[in-house]
Amino acid sequence: MKKKSWIAGMTTLVLAMGVMAGCSGNGNNVKSSSSAGGSDAGASPSASTPVKSGDTIKLKMWGGVPPEAGPQTVIDAWNKDHSDIQIEYVRYVNDDEGNLKLDTAMMTGQDVDLYVNYTMSHASKRVESGFAVDLSQFSDYNIDEKMGADAASWKINDKYYGMPTTKSAFFVALNKDALDAASLPVPKEWTWDELREYAKKLKSGDDYGFIQNTEPYVDPLDSVLSQQGYTKADGTSNLDDPGVKKWLETLNAMMTVDKTTPPLGEQLTSKMPVEQMFLSGEAPMLNIGAWLLRSSNNFTDYPRDFKIAFAPVPRLTDNAADYVTRGGLGDYTSINAKSKNQQAAWEFLKWYADGGMAPMAAGGRIPASKDADEEAALESLLGDKGDTYDRDSLMYVMFDNKTPTFVRSVPQEVVDLRSQEYEKYFLGAQSLDQTLAAMTSRHNEFLKKK
Amino acid sequence: MNNNWMKRQRLLGYVFIGPSMLGVLLFFLIPAAYSFYLMFTNYKFMNPTVRFVGFDNITRLLHDPMFYLSLRKTMLFLMAVPVSIAFGFVTAVILNQRLYLKKLLRGLYFMPYITSGVAVAFVWMLMFQPRQGPINGLLRSIGIDNPPGWLSTTTTSMYAIDIIWVWFLLGYNMIIYLAALQEVSTELLEAAKIDGAKRGQVLRKIIWPLVSPTTFLLLITGLIMTIKSFGIIQAMTQGGPGNSTTILSLYVYQNAFRYYEMGYASTISWALFLIILVITVLQWIGQKKWVHY
Repeated sequence: MKKKSWIAGMTTLVLAMGVMAGCSGNGNNVKSSSSAGGSDAGASPSASTPVKSGDTIKLKMWGGVPPEAGPQTVIDAWNKDHSDIQIEYVRYVNDDEGNLKLDTAMMTGQDVDLYVNYTMSHASKRVESGFAVDLSQFSDYNIDEKMGADAASWKINDKYYGMPTTKSAFFVALNKDALDAASLPVPKEWTWDELREYAKKLKSGDDYGFIQNTEPYVDPLDSVLSQQGYTKADGTSNLDDPGVKKWLETLNAMMTVDKTTPPLGEQLTSKMPVEQMFLSGEAPMLNIGAWLLRSSNNFTDYPRDFKIAFAPVPRLTDNAADYVTRGGLGDYTSINAKSKNQQAAWEFLKWYADGGMAPMAAGGRIPASKDADEEAALESLLGDKGDTYDRDSLMYVMFDNKTPTFVRSVPQEVVDLRSQEYEKYFLGAQSLDQTLAAMTSRHNEFLKKK
Repeated sequence: MNNNWMKRQRLLGYVFIGPSMLGVLLFFLIPAAYSFYLMFTNYKFMNPTVRFVGFDNITRLLHDPMFYLSLRKTMLFLMAVPVSIAFGFVTAVILNQRLYLKKLLRGLYFMPYITSGVAVAFVWMLMFQPRQGPINGLLRSIGIDNPPGWLSTTTTSMYAIDIIWVWFLLGYNMIIYLAALQEVSTELLEAAKIDGAKRGQVLRKIIWPLVSPTTFLLLITGLIMTIKSFGIIQAMTQGGPGNSTTILSLYVYQNAFRYYEMGYASTISWALFLIILVITVLQWIGQKKWVHY
């Protein structure tokens, strides 16, 4: 481990850049003659043969979903029917290291033809660096029309540099049996105060009433800030918005007063297995997203004897009309601008979005295109476990909830500085006012240096 | 003719070190020089536009509260080194005596050093678990009602990591001390015994000064190695909770590979290099006072 020093890190980095410098020298050639097998192809021999008609085109698609959770089935189905275009799926883990691996692969000119972005900040970095094709050059597919109004939040500089392919649902999963026992209804819209009451009523003994996956943990803040603005009118930070305060206070009270939700410090350092806790019946409410289905359909590892119901993520605002929820669309799939087979990649992408991706639903990824078969997707989503879910509330959070949505697009630096400060607050290391002050001043610093 | 032979010998020498020098050049010197250059640019990984920004990165560093915070955390982390050396010395002295199962114990103490860091990290995370962990279980059983939260609070997390680091370095320090103890001449020890010196006196006045070059070596290498390590922290806390375990080397890593701010990351790296240099030079000056060759 000691070898993992900064020197080694810098070495890797500099080597990567050396290679990049070699490529960028002729980067312009590549752009102007995109299909001619430009001079940078030397970096990877397999890509250096120019495509002739009749040859098989080989494409590589990079994505973060494990092959066995859907992608392999999708790719196999395509490859069987298209002998002229063969796809290979490369999995990268969607964390810092994995994204770095993908970015390095693209910079060093390895074959990446298609890739999936999972956050706006990654996508926009790649667009800035010229690694994504503007999809409006292909005129035979109207993304707005196919994917609906939610797609627009993925526009970068008013253009689509990728295709949002899935409906990404975020919700609070509920133990229906526990709710029934406490005679609580499944809410269709609720506030954090109401959730707090639910958690109190559902809490039993030392167990928690409400737990959260760390990925959507901070969404309530972005919900408020995407409406109220991350900055005030004068350009300074708005991280001290009343909504932020409300969220901090509510959760803190749940951790320290009600003891209905785990203290954040404990959750993080013990890497609390929240899915497992929910599915074993230990905690009755879980804030999570559609990927829960990957585990909840797996009765071998997560045996379960209760029905799961679904509720939307609660809101901080009093007025339901002001609320936006995270979700909309996801899995923003881009075509590498350096790819020599962009047309072929486009053909695949259209097929993929229009229903080819249906097997991915088994892992909670439902196609967003209106041409995709909703029933088929739902079937592979639920598998043979359909009767262990509360169908009505599932349909509601997946398809019928018409609350406007947002896509998290705040830079990683801001996400981190926020979480560092609220962690200190939840641990009792600083007061609420100190936390808000620290967040805004660090955010202001960040804004200044941009 | 003799002169000619010398020349040839020297040339041959260069040929022999050539391959490894090539490695040093390719994987260390050139990258280091490149990162020095990056320090004066705004280079962001992936971003093709690189602009010279002069001393902007350095000014930013000097005004970055996170830099000073992580500097303080680094100093806290470094505290583990002298503590571990002290424990290493005591363990070595004990294991150097006639002792039952001596060889086995030596092996056991050395185990942490050759164990995978990430595996170590996960085991410690379980041990430190504030509610169900065995450490707090033990503390509760001996009557401490409010045992520390270890990794889960901002005030204790860095000390928890120090404990792990002391344990991790202990085996190595002990082995090196054991080797040094073999060099202590038995004549001196016997002479002292005849003169009526007590065990403590022998330890303090004879053994400790005689192994002082070893202590010096362990201190220098230990500090340098520690200041560069962040793998164990990255595996356990990622610098949290809050930013209570963000040491400088981790801050470099985050800037480079999380935010892709290569220019700024290079600047922090060079600051880190300067800090190591200053610490080492200071020790070199200080050693005249306490190291006996």
